[in-house]
Amino acid sequence: MDFQNRNNTANKFVCPSDRQLALRAKLRAGWSSSKTSEPLRPEEQEAIISVIRRNEEIEIAERQRVGRLVERVEKIKQHAVERGPNCCRLCGDTFGLLRPHRIICEDCRQSVCTKCSVDINIRYHTSERTREIWLCRICSETREMWKKSGAWFFKGLPRYDTPRSASANATPAPTPTPGGMASMAGDTRSEHSCHGTPTRTARVKKLTIRVNDSSSSSGPSEPEDEVDGGGGSGRVGGAKGSAVGRLQREDSFRLRAYGSIRSFIDGGERKLSNSFFFGRQQSHRLSECTDYDSVSLSNGSAVAQIRRESSSLRRGSVSSSWSISESSGSGNSGTHSQSQSQVQSQSQSQYAQSQQQHCRDPLLGWLEIAISYRESFHSLDCTMVRARDLPAMDASGLTDPYCKLNIITPEALTKYTRWQRTRTVHKTRNPEFNETLQFVGVEPEELGNSLLYVALFDDDKYGHDFLGAAKVCLSTVHSTSQYRISVPLGVEDQYSNAAEIAQEWPNGKILISLCYNTKRRALVVNVKQCINLMAMDNNGSSDPFVKLQLKPDAHKNKKHKTSVKWRTLNPIYNEEFYFEASPHDLNKEMLIVTVWDKDLGKSNDFLGSVQLGAQSKGERLQQWHDCIRLPDHFHEKWHCLAPDNPAH
Amino acid sequence: MASGGDPKWQKDAADQNFDYMFKLLIIGNSSVGKTSFLFRYADDSFTSAFVSTVGIDFKVKTVFRHDKRVKLQIWDTAGQERYRTITTAYYRGAMGFILMYDVTNEDSFNSVQDWVTQIKTYSWDNAQVILVGNKCDMEDQRVISFERGRQLADQLGVEFFETSAKENVNVKAVFERLVDIICDKMSESLDADPTLVGGAQKGQRLTDQPQGTPNANCNC
Repeated sequence: MDFQNRNNTANKFVCPSDRQLALRAKLRAGWSSSKTSEPLRPEEQEAIISVIRRNEEIEIAERQRVGRLVERVEKIKQHAVERGPNCCRLCGDTFGLLRPHRIICEDCRQSVCTKCSVDINIRYHTSERTREIWLCRICSETREMWKKSGAWFFKGLPRYDTPRSASANATPAPTPTPGGMASMAGDTRSEHSCHGTPTRTARVKKLTIRVNDSSSSSGPSEPEDEVDGGGGSGRVGGAKGSAVGRLQREDSFRLRAYGSIRSFIDGGERKLSNSFFFGRQQSHRLSECTDYDSVSLSNGSAVAQIRRESSSLRRGSVSSSWSISESSGSGNSGTHSQSQSQVQSQSQSQYAQSQQQHCRDPLLGWLEIAISYRESFHSLDCTMVRARDLPAMDASGLTDPYCKLNIITPEALTKYTRWQRTRTVHKTRNPEFNETLQFVGVEPEELGNSLLYVALFDDDKYGHDFLGAAKVCLSTVHSTSQYRISVPLGVEDQYSNAAEIAQEWPNGKILISLCYNTKRRALVVNVKQCINLMAMDNNGSSDPFVKLQLKPDAHKNKKHKTSVKWRTLNPIYNEEFYFEASPHDLNKEMLIVTVWDKDLGKSNDFLGSVQLGAQSKGERLQQWHDCIRLPDHFHEKWHCLAPDNPAH
Repeated sequence: MASGGDPKWQKDAADQNFDYMFKLLIIGNSSVGKTSFLFRYADDSFTSAFVSTVGIDFKVKTVFRHDKRVKLQIWDTAGQERYRTITTAYYRGAMGFILMYDVTNEDSFNSVQDWVTQIKTYSWDNAQVILVGNKCDMEDQRVISFERGRQLADQLGVEFFETSAKENVNVKAVFERLVDIICDKMSESLDADPTLVGGAQKGQRLTDQPQGTPNANCNC
């Protein structure tokens, strides 16, 4: 038969005789209404389980394969320079008459050069004619990834395991780690905002119906009677419900759905790994859902049941976007019977909790706090329990977090000048603080309109980098019971800056600008200025100069030092130094900056130090990376000077 | 089931050297020859003894098509109704369906529409289907003419083949055609709708979550 014709058929799977089918169902003819069924025998279960196990192996390999594909694209993205409209997005070459020709990528509409793009021939939708389009390397690779991973079919990437998360990260969550895939995470923000739009709700609706064959088994099984007009889908759903019911009654082998078969095999320990099950929902378009609205089962109940199942299956380890159904689920449950809706709301609230615990991954992580108020002492006890998924701060993807707390008054001021801080938990992105800090002198009436402010910082001797901040309304805190809450961490604001300033850096700060010069193949270090240096001489001032050293130095550069600025605590140098090095070497090296007070006749006094390099953390690491990633540009940053001398 | 210990199967299954992976599903009434069809294609073997498939089974075969290596995971389902709960669970992963009836069995032909409804209900909407009339070597017992099969396929808007697993007629052709259709669909879906990919980059990961909770909204 002719393929062309097939394409013109508007809906090729329209069953030509839905009405006939419905009638036949009434007559109880055809296999869908046959009543012969017996439970699965043990040997049959064995056989099925062995097949599922074999499939599991393939799926694991497939997830890893998709993970590698995703990582490949991510790597290309990370190497993109993104230098502006007049430069190639990928290699950073400037366009011009003699320079590379500018090409606009078909998919992302950004400018790239000919080197960084490919031309492909695509066929027009309905004809045999083809046209040529240009794609940048990122977009062509992304297309390729969509084809190879099967995402084109499921209209979204199936679940995958990134090679990185398998080896480095202790958390089993399949999500890309915020640090590792920062670009992707950054892009998602815009998408987040549309949560709760009709489209999303509609998707959930459809999903509900689609999977109700697997979850409706707990309800009464209803044969064909009620669904005459409901079309093929409803009829089959009903019949299946009864089949499932039988299976359940007669046999402990609960074949509810693909997912639960797995969970049965694995004793429920392994997470649900059916990527397609989760992959389904995102493709459903608004237009499609209308056919399913007529089905008698309430959306809410099915959603709740799915949730119950999925949450028990997943054991909190898989994060998925089921939460988008929260609002629609509770909104529609009104049609259902009282007892069931109670169960639903219970399971919903449980689920909402587990959602909070496990599923949402804001960019900066989570903080769990327990707050209690002792009226007799007028004291507010804040227990920092733990934090989760904090941003990575060093090259190995770890962080040394600690919390700083204060109370914000209704006038938007910090109540205490001294910020309370917890101890530092080292080398983890999921710290367990379990530390209680006490604010004394909090009046009961203050609680109603004050906020508890918690800022998390990364502890490093060369400066404490901001990790995230959270505000908790104290109006919900009562003297009777402890208030426990898990809050997402947000971005910097005035208070976190205040907390940062409140940190004591008696050694002052230094402004350094770094640039990798590709022509001279050298690292250019510009020492600009220092402020608030310590006074070392009797005259209440110092005579500061800065020493620079690259370590371990592959090119045997000599050490450099600036001129001495006499009798000042805020010297301005603006002096440039060159360190010969290849970009590759820089990934291993460390720039050690020390500030000294020049003394004549006796040894120089140490004023402070800072280290920049691949082994440093936070902003210092970022400046170093920027310098390598975007050469021939100056990257300027203030750094705090640490009181310890690296030479000792 | 017996294929589990088969070294060839293991070689194919473990082989990671391929470009695309397609999951195909063979469905149809009991005893129309689904398992024989699969064995003929995957192992080039045939036995006329009837052993009912227990629930589900699959075989893996890598084929070379349009300069691409395509790994096929072909699911063989039990036709018997008692396994339907299990088999339908696998519909949603399948990109292509081989819907099979037996040309010597009127019932199996009449059930085709029921199966189409099943596909409609449980599969992804862009899944591809091929209608196959099996056992075309048994001309003396034939009750469904080629013409009837072709007409039904036209009605359903799918392609049609008559095959024989026993005589190895058209078996390979069916799979090749299905792979071609899926490949066509693949390039079509991306070329016609590039926003799909672009949109996906903006957070299509199912694990991406809308930010903020009721707590977070409390800025007082």
